[in-house]
Amino acid sequence: MTQPKTNAPKTSAGTAVPQFTASDRKPIKLTEVVHPDGRISQYPPPDVWDDWVEWDGKEWPKRVARRYTLVPTVCFNCEAACGLLAYVDKDTYEIRKLEGNPVHPGSRGRNCAKGPATHNQVYDPERILYPLKRVGKRGEGKWERITWEQALSEIAEKMRASREKRRDGIVYHVGRPGEDGYTNRVVQAWGVDGHNSHTNICSSSARAGYNFWLGQDRPSPDFANARTILLISSHLETGHYFNPHAQRIIEAKTDGAKLITFDPRLSNTASMSDVWLPTWPGSENTILLAIANHLIQTNKYDKEFVRKWTNWKEFLQHVQQSTSAEWDSIRPLISNSPILFETFDAVLKQLYSEYTFERAAEESQVPIERIQEAAKYIANCDGKLAAHVWRSASVGNLGGWQVARCIFFLNVLTGSVGTEGGTSLTNWNKFVPKPFKSPPAFNAWNELHYPNEWPLAHYEMSFLLPHMLEEGRGDIDVYFTRVYNPMWTNPDGFMWLKALKDESKIKCYVALTPTWNETAWFADYVLPTGHGPERHDLMSQETHSGQWIAFRQPVRRVAMERAGIKVDFTYQANPGEVWEENEFWIQLSARFDPDGSLGIRQYFESPYRPKEIITVDEYYQWIFENSVPGLPEAAAKEGLAPLAYMRKYGVFEVKHENYAPYDKPLHATPEAGLASDEQDRVRDSAGAVVGLKVDDQFKVGFDTPSRKLEFFSDTLSNWGWPEKENVIPWVLKSHVDPDNIDLEKGEMILLPNFRLPTLIHTRSANAKWLYEISHKNPIWMNPDDAKRIGVDTGDLARVDTEIGYFIDSVWVTEGIKPGVIAISHHLGRWRLQEDSGVNRGASNLVDLSDDGKGGFLLRVVHGAKAWKSSDPDTSRIWWSEVGVTQNLTHAVHPDPVSGVHCWLQKATSVRKANADEKAGDVFVDTNKSMEKYREWLKLARPADQVSPDGNRRPFWLTRPLKPTKEAYKLKK
Amino acid sequence: MTNYGFLIDQSKCIGCHACSTACKSENQVPLGVYRTWVKYVETGAYPDVRRRFQVTRCNHCANPPCVRICPVTAMYQRDDGIVEFDPSVCIGCKSCMQACPYDSIYLDPESNTAAKCHFCAHRLDVGLEPACVVVCPEHAILAGDLDDPASELSRKLATAQVTVRKPEQGTAPKLFYINGNDWSLHPSAAQTHDSFLWADKVTEQNVAAYALPVLDDGGRVGLGALPSPYRDPAAVSRPAGTTKVSKSGTPIRTPKEQGRPMNGPIQIGGRVAEHMVQTAYNAQHKIQWHWELPSYLVTKSIAGGIYMLLSLGAGLGMFAFDSLTFLAAGFTAMVFMLITTILLIKDLSQPKRFLNILLRPQWKSWVARGAYIMVTFTAVAGLWWLLEGAAYLGWLPAEFIISIRPFAAWIVFPFALGVVIYTAFLLGQAEGRDMWQSNLLPFQLFAQSMMVASGVFLALSAFVTFPADLHTLLIGLFPASIAINLLLTLAPKFTSFASDVAMLAHREMTHGRFRNHYWWGGITLGHVIPLVLFFAFSAFALPAAVACAVVGLFFYEYAFVMAPQHIPNS
Repeated sequence: MTQPKTNAPKTSAGTAVPQFTASDRKPIKLTEVVHPDGRISQYPPPDVWDDWVEWDGKEWPKRVARRYTLVPTVCFNCEAACGLLAYVDKDTYEIRKLEGNPVHPGSRGRNCAKGPATHNQVYDPERILYPLKRVGKRGEGKWERITWEQALSEIAEKMRASREKRRDGIVYHVGRPGEDGYTNRVVQAWGVDGHNSHTNICSSSARAGYNFWLGQDRPSPDFANARTILLISSHLETGHYFNPHAQRIIEAKTDGAKLITFDPRLSNTASMSDVWLPTWPGSENTILLAIANHLIQTNKYDKEFVRKWTNWKEFLQHVQQSTSAEWDSIRPLISNSPILFETFDAVLKQLYSEYTFERAAEESQVPIERIQEAAKYIANCDGKLAAHVWRSASVGNLGGWQVARCIFFLNVLTGSVGTEGGTSLTNWNKFVPKPFKSPPAFNAWNELHYPNEWPLAHYEMSFLLPHMLEEGRGDIDVYFTRVYNPMWTNPDGFMWLKALKDESKIKCYVALTPTWNETAWFADYVLPTGHGPERHDLMSQETHSGQWIAFRQPVRRVAMERAGIKVDFTYQANPGEVWEENEFWIQLSARFDPDGSLGIRQYFESPYRPKEIITVDEYYQWIFENSVPGLPEAAAKEGLAPLAYMRKYGVFEVKHENYAPYDKPLHATPEAGLASDEQDRVRDSAGAVVGLKVDDQFKVGFDTPSRKLEFFSDTLSNWGWPEKENVIPWVLKSHVDPDNIDLEKGEMILLPNFRLPTLIHTRSANAKWLYEISHKNPIWMNPDDAKRIGVDTGDLARVDTEIGYFIDSVWVTEGIKPGVIAISHHLGRWRLQEDSGVNRGASNLVDLSDDGKGGFLLRVVHGAKAWKSSDPDTSRIWWSEVGVTQNLTHAVHPDPVSGVHCWLQKATSVRKANADEKAGDVFVDTNKSMEKYREWLKLARPADQVSPDGNRRPFWLTRPLKPTKEAYKLKK
Repeated sequence: MTNYGFLIDQSKCIGCHACSTACKSENQVPLGVYRTWVKYVETGAYPDVRRRFQVTRCNHCANPPCVRICPVTAMYQRDDGIVEFDPSVCIGCKSCMQACPYDSIYLDPESNTAAKCHFCAHRLDVGLEPACVVVCPEHAILAGDLDDPASELSRKLATAQVTVRKPEQGTAPKLFYINGNDWSLHPSAAQTHDSFLWADKVTEQNVAAYALPVLDDGGRVGLGALPSPYRDPAAVSRPAGTTKVSKSGTPIRTPKEQGRPMNGPIQIGGRVAEHMVQTAYNAQHKIQWHWELPSYLVTKSIAGGIYMLLSLGAGLGMFAFDSLTFLAAGFTAMVFMLITTILLIKDLSQPKRFLNILLRPQWKSWVARGAYIMVTFTAVAGLWWLLEGAAYLGWLPAEFIISIRPFAAWIVFPFALGVVIYTAFLLGQAEGRDMWQSNLLPFQLFAQSMMVASGVFLALSAFVTFPADLHTLLIGLFPASIAINLLLTLAPKFTSFASDVAMLAHREMTHGRFRNHYWWGGITLGHVIPLVLFFAFSAFALPAAVACAVVGLFFYEYAFVMAPQHIPNS
């Protein structure tokens, strides 16, 4: 591609300190213009965003006026999609700062620490500015700068070669998506089963649990209006969606709501709670079911809601037909009775009677009074229980998907489903508009993503990729990673190292990343793509009751276009030759299928200019004109085109509130064609299930196969998991159950996956303000345990896991449960060369050695250091410790149902470090890694043994990209 | 009238640090320094534990000591109550950092001037709230006009239960906390380790290198040193040495020294019910004054002291005078004055702006007053010396110089005295260092001056023959002033301290990291050895005695200047 000329001024980002020019115009006073009563404004009103003058804070009290154009965009530092407002200099087009976007309905103009720190990422002196191609061996750290044209054509050539042979050779492996649907559409257009995600090390366990209940995999609690808030998470400091949720949780709390938090460690959230339940990991469900039992036995549950909306009839019928001894205790209640709700009530009372507060207190090692207090608040919630589990216990424990089942059971029992102050579902509060042309489902199945062993896996078995490659299950022709650093983020990173070094298994590896990361170091191509304010994306999140879409914009490009400068591609406005991914995928796909013979090119042709390759503007213009209800009208009111409206405000509120849509009457289809079956499902004339009959009324219902809330999961029952503990909300025995942890022998539980309010996995390394606040991850240890092993705060300890060990310092605190140690995720970044790789202020220089027999040793040469760069602040780096990469020592623990990696680790020994053991040391024996992998593999119940219908997995279960039904068929 | 203040609701604050980064972004604050930060303190015993958050920053005091001490009006209070600074005139004397009892001011590494939260005055000026207020997810930070009855802040303040940091300093802070907590508000209440929860601890300040002055009674441990084993039953047993018993048979506690409670300033932490009170995160503050200040205290004591002695001789006729003695002593004094000036200018972080102090003095500041005292002293004392020199060379008649000597003496004496003792008033303005705010300090500085000035003067007798009565006076004054100063130096131990911060600083000086400077340097080398040498070996050892006194005084001053700076104010 010939790169078009532009008169866009280059940015200094990554190369020099940005310059801002003085304005000849004085600021206007908002106190006079907007608030005659003298109130103080938070933001300039949108009608002055185009041309805003304010005083320079650094020059003050000298009055130096600076002139900015204010461009709304969306934060990319977590998945919340909070609004940002970039202050772009009117002359130099440098970004002065990023504040919040006041018109954003989710974040409402406010941000967490990571929002303003986006500026650090843009002006990071260590960022990658040009496409790089490996010279020398993989991981040797030798690179040559190439053109984008070379990168695009070489990669497209490899993709075409693969696609002509097979439909599972190209993989797009995404960490933080940061957008809704764009790239999925691209992969779908390629006609390959190529989507891989990070979800299985993150949320898929909770998602699976919610999905079995609801047919939707994420809760959307209406925190702001709740009376009782129940969190198995740390939503006041991290998580989905930290800032918007934290705002609303505290609002509710200020209005008198009670906050209950489960966590073995005193998170900031736990500290802000009315009731903190420091549970023994794995005992959460016992408490949840004890509370459920309390509601059931005292008749404080919403019987009417349960009767109308749950599949209790199917459950009773199942028990009637079952011969399993597990149901013996309730069978007498059912066998002689008609299927009545009163029967179900009696069954519930019998079923859950074993879950007493006493048992919960004993198993969780939490004072019984606290559990009773929590139960009291939940019983009094009046249909306003906002409850949430996202990772935490659900991703920690074997069987953790049942945590979501059990917590949502409380929503069901209290009738807090979709109510004001209750818990709604993602699809009700998230809006994803359709693009101009959707590619059809592909007929392919990638066995490395959805292997036979896990027919119910919620999302791809991504973290097992290197183990499966090691077993010889397949190979990959072209492997893309996007905002993903598996070698560092995933468990068992040295297995990734092995896989990436083997060019016969991953033949071409392309890393799309704005900055260096540990995995990208082993790539064949490193392609710099933009940070948050350097790219287009469309995002929506279920932050509260209502729906909105937010438009991420490359702010310099928008500022230039406002000034009349022609910008054809975003990279012209970005630093160096940093591309935005939208344009990258378009250009790559066009080269992938230059003549349209593969049927791919058509999805990248303009809907406005036939046969021409689409521009990003056209892509979003079409969506805003055609797919967002109300947007064209709102834009017209301001005399703007829909795209111009979104460029101006960066956000649009699609629905203000959206409570209990399942209770809405069915009216989309003609009354005459609807009929209900014996399961109360309403079908249209074509036989498709479209709703639910509730007390003679046709309602929308839920997204499950039964259209009801599935207290009893027919899917689990039919797909090899028929036991009581699986099919209804129940306790599953965790791999860190007290039976499996011998405290006497010095074993402990390692809680390795909590997050800090200031960090964002691997991307915070290039945000100096965030690293200045938090840069190390000591081992939290209770004084009892510290005394036992003879360490104090600051001492080094050695933690042995199932596959290796690491050395880290200790933080002695009463804020953690005895017997449990906790270490934050995020930290322990490393680089292999002194002057290249992960940011020097944020990483250890390490020596990585391989004994050739599967043993890998990482030793720290030195920690963070100050250095001279285009940013004077890098010479002021004052910290040296940057933490320990504990994830390397984590054995993989694939849950046999959800497929998630169960993060909690068994620390086989925790002791004071010896003199020759240095902070940051990590050793792993990858032979043991494979052993542990095989051990967990045995827990799975493979599709070819359990499938009731000859398919690989239930068709109704979510997959990010669904293939054709044909592809679901198990191979004979 | 407009009167801006902050109201921070700690019942809403979630410790997210958004205010910290928003401030860095808005004001382009460099790494290593902080205008606002969130202090974390962990309290309690499992499972009854809490983490306390405290948004910490400049209080915009109604009566700001930083403004009073600033010699050049670089730090000033605006009419609307905002305490603001002008980096373009700041000379970098760092006095404001000593005057702030809240650790809110820092030296900016880029501008080399003082800086701190300025209420985002540049934003307020156009009608925008401070950046920290806007970013806060919880609306936990309110900024507004305290004098406007309709402002959200005033209305909330009227009904909320609030607290402030260190109200006893009399600064009238205008940052009010809802749900403020003594364990985080009070700097010495929490234990601090060499590390934080998720950050390195690198500055010298606030590190538990010193043992906080909690009595180590019978297995009880001090705040600064909470060792393993944590849950030793002995740690909560009755203190050893409790022998007295009341009539009822109940053991009676032994009264403690002032400022040294059994369990730290707040009755919790490591001892009561085994509770922890530990600082999990805090901003880190650098020590601002180092060896230059104690050096200058010594050199100006010599210069001022010599001229005081000369003035007394000439004015009161206490001893006969000859020109050569005067010229030798005066020259020595002027040399020490020159060294003093060099030290002072060197210690400025903006040395090129040192003239600002004379060109735009802020007359409430003892830094400015001191500068004028020293300059005037140098001028009049120097003029006197020149006249004496001219007379010695015969350029002026002898009668003339004899006739003006009493006048010269009485003009120079107050300035010489001022040079010696004004620092007591300057340190008195340093309201962040309570230990310096001692009523004894002027007298102690005077005694120190007599000690080193008489000693140096005496040492000159090796080169110049003194009149006999001068020699007699000095030979008596030298040991006497050492003895008196020894008593004044040890006096605080027997008197009481006005605050726990003063007590902690004194403890740090005498028992903490400066104990060697204090006992071996200040007391032994500076006082005991000179007295022993003087009386045991007499004139033979005089030069050695004088050298010991001068060097010893430096060690003492070093401990005296450094110790209080190590006591955290936040």
